[in-house]
Amino acid sequence: MSHDHEHHDHDAPETQDAGSQALAEALRSSFAIVKIVMALMVLAFFGSGFFTVGPQEKAVILRFGKPVGEGDKILLNAGLHWSLPYPIDEVVKIPITEQQIVSSTIGWYLTTPEAELSGEEMPAGPTLNPAIDGYVLTADRNILHARATLRYHIDDPMRYVFGFTNAQMTVQNALNNALLYTAASFNVDDILLNRVDEFREAVQLRVTDLAEQQQLGIVIEQCDVESRPPRQLQSVFDQVTDARVNRDKALIGAHSYENQITNSAGAQAVSIINRAEADRTNYVASITAEAKRFTDLLPGYETNRNLFAQMTLVQTMGQVLTNVQDKIYLPQRADGQPRELRLMLNREPPQPKNAASP
Amino acid sequence: MKQNLLTIVIGAVLVIIFALLLFVFQVRQSEIAVVTTFGKPVQNITEPGAYFKWPWPIQNVYKFDKRIQNFEDKFSQTLTADNNNLIVTIFTGWEISDAKEFYPKFLGSVPAAQRALESMMRNAKNAVIASHNLSDFVNSDPQQLKFDAIEGEIKAEVQAELSTNNYGIQLDFLAFKKIELPESVSATVFSRMTAERQQIISSLQFAGDAESNNIASAADRLAAGVVNNALADATRIRGEGEAAAAQVLPVFQQNPELANYLLRIDALKQSLNQRSTLIFDERTPPFDLFQNLPKNSPTN
Repeated sequence: MSHDHEHHDHDAPETQDAGSQALAEALRSSFAIVKIVMALMVLAFFGSGFFTVGPQEKAVILRFGKPVGEGDKILLNAGLHWSLPYPIDEVVKIPITEQQIVSSTIGWYLTTPEAELSGEEMPAGPTLNPAIDGYVLTADRNILHARATLRYHIDDPMRYVFGFTNAQMTVQNALNNALLYTAASFNVDDILLNRVDEFREAVQLRVTDLAEQQQLGIVIEQCDVESRPPRQLQSVFDQVTDARVNRDKALIGAHSYENQITNSAGAQAVSIINRAEADRTNYVASITAEAKRFTDLLPGYETNRNLFAQMTLVQTMGQVLTNVQDKIYLPQRADGQPRELRLMLNREPPQPKNAASP
Repeated sequence: MKQNLLTIVIGAVLVIIFALLLFVFQVRQSEIAVVTTFGKPVQNITEPGAYFKWPWPIQNVYKFDKRIQNFEDKFSQTLTADNNNLIVTIFTGWEISDAKEFYPKFLGSVPAAQRALESMMRNAKNAVIASHNLSDFVNSDPQQLKFDAIEGEIKAEVQAELSTNNYGIQLDFLAFKKIELPESVSATVFSRMTAERQQIISSLQFAGDAESNNIASAADRLAAGVVNNALADATRIRGEGEAAAAQVLPVFQQNPELANYLLRIDALKQSLNQRSTLIFDERTPPFDLFQNLPKNSPTN
C-alpha cells in the first residue's frame, strides 16, 4: 500500500508537476500583478491626499469633521498640501483674498443691465408695482430709486464659510436693509443733491454695523450708491434742476455785478483821494514857493518899484513870446485910425482822410 | 506563518473599518446632530468630531446644518397705526440650535421649519407694525425714527414664540428687506411729489430774483458809500491844504501891491502859454522899443 501510495505519490507529482507548476507560475505572476496593483492603490490612496491651494483661496482640513490646527494655523495658504484621504480628512477650500461684490436687490425699477446699456428700458407705467418695481421711501415720504454695490473681502473665513449657509446672501440682505434704513432717514433732495456723499457713507456705515452685529467675518472695502428720482417724475425733477441752475446763474451774475461795482467804486475812491492829496501838496507847495519868491523879490521891489516892474514885465513878455505860437505884430496906423482885422482860427488838427473809408 | 500574519492583519484592518462604519459617525464643523435610540432622540451633538453609536437599527443619527440660514417672508400688506398700507418683507438669519428638539418637531425638515417660522414672522410683523405710525418708519429726525426699534420688537416677538414652543431654533437676526406702498398709493405719492417739486421750482425762481436783487442793491449802496467817503476825505484833505496855505499868507501882507503885481504877471504867463496867438502893437513891451528907442538923452 505504502509502495502503491508511494508510487502513486511519486507518479502524481510527475503529471501534477507540470500542471501545478504552471498554476503556481500563473498564481505567482498574478500575485505579483496584484501586489503591484495593491501597491499602486495604496500609493493612489495616500497620493489622493495631495491637493493644491490657489493664490486666491485658503483651505481647511476637517479631520473627522473637526478643523485641524489651532487659531490661524487652521487656514492653509497657497501651495501644495497633503491630507489623509476621505473619509478621515476632508478639504474645504475657501475663496478669500479675492474681492467679493454684491449688489442690492431692492430699490430699483425693473430693468436689465443690457437694457440699461442700450438705453432701451421698458417705458415706465403711471404707477409702481411693488411686486416688480423696487424703490425706497425717503424720510419726507418721497419715492426714490436707489441701488448699491458693495465690495468686501473675507476677514474671518472660518466664520464666513462655517457660520452661514450662504454668507453672500446675508451680506446682500444687510446691504438691502442699509439702503432702506438710510433712505428712511434722509430727505429726497439730500439723497439726490445736497448730501450725496453723506448718504453713501451712511449706507456704508449701516452695512458695516450690520456685518459686525451678525458677525459676518468680512471687511467692507467700498460701497457705491446710485439714486435717481422715479422715471415718472423725471421731467419735473429736471425742471427743478433747471430752476436751480437759473437761480445759480442769477446769483453768479449778481455777484459779478457786485464785484465790478465795488471794484470800480474802490478805484474811483482811490483816484479821488489821490487827486485831493495831489491838490493839497501842489497848493501848499506852490503857495510856499510863491511866498519864497515874494520874500526874495520884496527888497528889490522896495528899492525901485518902477524899474522892478518894467524889468519883470519885459522878462515875462520875453518868456511869453517864446511860448506863443503865433505872434502878429500890428503897428499903429500912421493916421492914427483904428485897423480892422479879420482872423480865421482853426485849432482843430486836420482829420486823417483814410481812416474810415476803405 | 508569515503569510498567515499578513492575512490576519488585513482581516483585522477590514474588520476595524467595517466596525468603524457601523459604530462611528462624523459630525462636521458646520453640522449639528441628534442620536436617536429606537426613534427616540437621546443625545445632542453640537461639537464637530467623530462619535460612537450603536449600529442601525438600534441607534440612528440625524445631522443638520447648524450654520445660519437665510430666510425671508413673502411680501405682504400690513396696516400701520395711522392707517397707512405698507408692503413689507423681512429677512432673518436663523439656525438650528438644538437638534434634539428640532428633529421631532419638524421631522428634520428645514422647509417645514421655515413654514412655521414664516407664520410666526407674519404674525409678529402685523402686530408690531399695527402699533406704529408711518413716521416711525421714515423720519429725518433720528430721535423719531424707530426703524431699529421696530425690527427689534418683531424679532423679540418671534423669539418669544420660538422659545415658548421650544422648536430648537435660534433667531440670530431679523431686519426689514423691503418697505413699499400699494400700487395705487404710489400714484398718489407721485402727484404729491409733483406738487412739491413745482413749489420748489417757484420758490427757487423767487429766491433767485430776490437774492440777486439784494446783492445788486447792496453792492450799489456799498459803492456809493465808498465814493461818498472818498469825496468827504478829499474835501478834508483839500481843506488841510488850504489851512496849511493860510499860514503862509501873512508873508504877502508885507506888500500887497507886489503880491498883486506878481499874481498878474503869473496870470499873464499862464494865459499866454502854448498854442496861443498874440496880436500886439508897438505899445506892447518889449516892442515899445520900436517906438521909443532909449536915447542917450542929455537929460540924464
